[in-house]
Amino acid sequence: MKSYFDITGDGGSDVLGQVARQRARIKENLSGVRHMVAIASGKGGVGKSTLTMQIALALRAGGSRITILDADLNGPSQARLGGLSHAPLVPGPAGLSVPASRAGIGILSMGTMIPESQSLEFDSVAEGDSHIWRSTREFAALADLLATVAWGDLDFLLIDLPPGAERTFQYAEFFGEGTAFVLVTLPSALARGVVSRSVSALRRAPNRILGYIENMSGYLCPGCGQVKPLFPTADDIDLGLTHLGSVPFDPQLAALSDAGEPMPADSPSEALAATRSIASRLIQELEKTS
Amino acid sequence: MKFLCVPCDSPMKMSQASPPERGSISVVSECPECFHTMAMLTNPMETQLVQSLGVKIGPAGAEEKAAGAEGSGCPFSGMAEEMSAGGDDSTAFVWTSAAEKRLGNIPSFVRAMARTGIEKYARENGFSQVDEQVLDQAKDFFGM
Repeated sequence: MKSYFDITGDGGSDVLGQVARQRARIKENLSGVRHMVAIASGKGGVGKSTLTMQIALALRAGGSRITILDADLNGPSQARLGGLSHAPLVPGPAGLSVPASRAGIGILSMGTMIPESQSLEFDSVAEGDSHIWRSTREFAALADLLATVAWGDLDFLLIDLPPGAERTFQYAEFFGEGTAFVLVTLPSALARGVVSRSVSALRRAPNRILGYIENMSGYLCPGCGQVKPLFPTADDIDLGLTHLGSVPFDPQLAALSDAGEPMPADSPSEALAATRSIASRLIQELEKTS
Repeated sequence: MKFLCVPCDSPMKMSQASPPERGSISVVSECPECFHTMAMLTNPMETQLVQSLGVKIGPAGAEEKAAGAEGSGCPFSGMAEEMSAGGDDSTAFVWTSAAEKRLGNIPSFVRAMARTGIEKYARENGFSQVDEQVLDQAKDFFGM
């Protein structure tokens, strides 16, 4: 009797062919993108999304063409950060058009599609047990977006990833080895410990890890004017990665982020200076890769 | 997944895939040698698992037909009406066939959201129907 591997094709649907054709469409659709960089952590609440936007703004200020893909379908932040909570999706002649913020950054985020008072729901013919199929459906949705959005010619496609150390590895596999990773941590042992797990998971993938950013590295004390630590530092947990820079907490940046406004270009903010420096470093690291 | 006719030792060909009924689909395969047919009937969980993969299930060639008619995204050929997040929003505004074609080229899971957003834009800007001009104007307005 024939075995599975003795039979060519599947007798109808050609599921493997469908997957291969979609991968080819994604490759073709992203052919105008020079660098794909995923901003990850593993740990939630470390400021990945805010940093992604700040890095995008810094790169944009340098003349680069940027789009942010908010891959956190369930907890999207980029629409609010870019002031695009009410931009409709527009089907263009070459696919789904990407809305752009006032600063000229393309933002593809579920946050532009679904009000913050609602959660993302997929149609299901199965009652309950969404934990069995939900993750698969989300990756399929992301693949559908990659294949049908009119990305155009970009210098950078920054991908804002959701938390989860093992999920970080899954995204590395999903986006492919051409996507470089930047990890974001806080100074605390709690955060660095989780990020260390993400690094371990990512080491299984061929993707380049450009380095890590330490966010909320301190705060500017309004009383004494000095930068003081927000967390106890945990330098004993060595991430084994290039340190791309540290960004102090800035209440003004937090307020502007909530309002979807960029920091004024002439602001003396140390956080702004730090993200500009990180953006430059990022370019240097990427050029090394190229 | 493949099906083998054991008496003939011959791979079976899919001949029909029926739309989901109460979450179950029926996929009929036929042996090209003895013409024996068999049906695979899925339970809702199995249907949902396949749907979540974002692939279409149907006889050879059904994918192209479905893509031409419905655009991308629907997991089962010819079943977009049942499976998409649509609804009857299309009655709220007239869309030209060219505008509908563009809508069909974006992922099915965001199609209803796009339709609603564009119709809101068209209504607020005094358009009586949605055509390519409205879509292009919205695209420019939102800085795309």
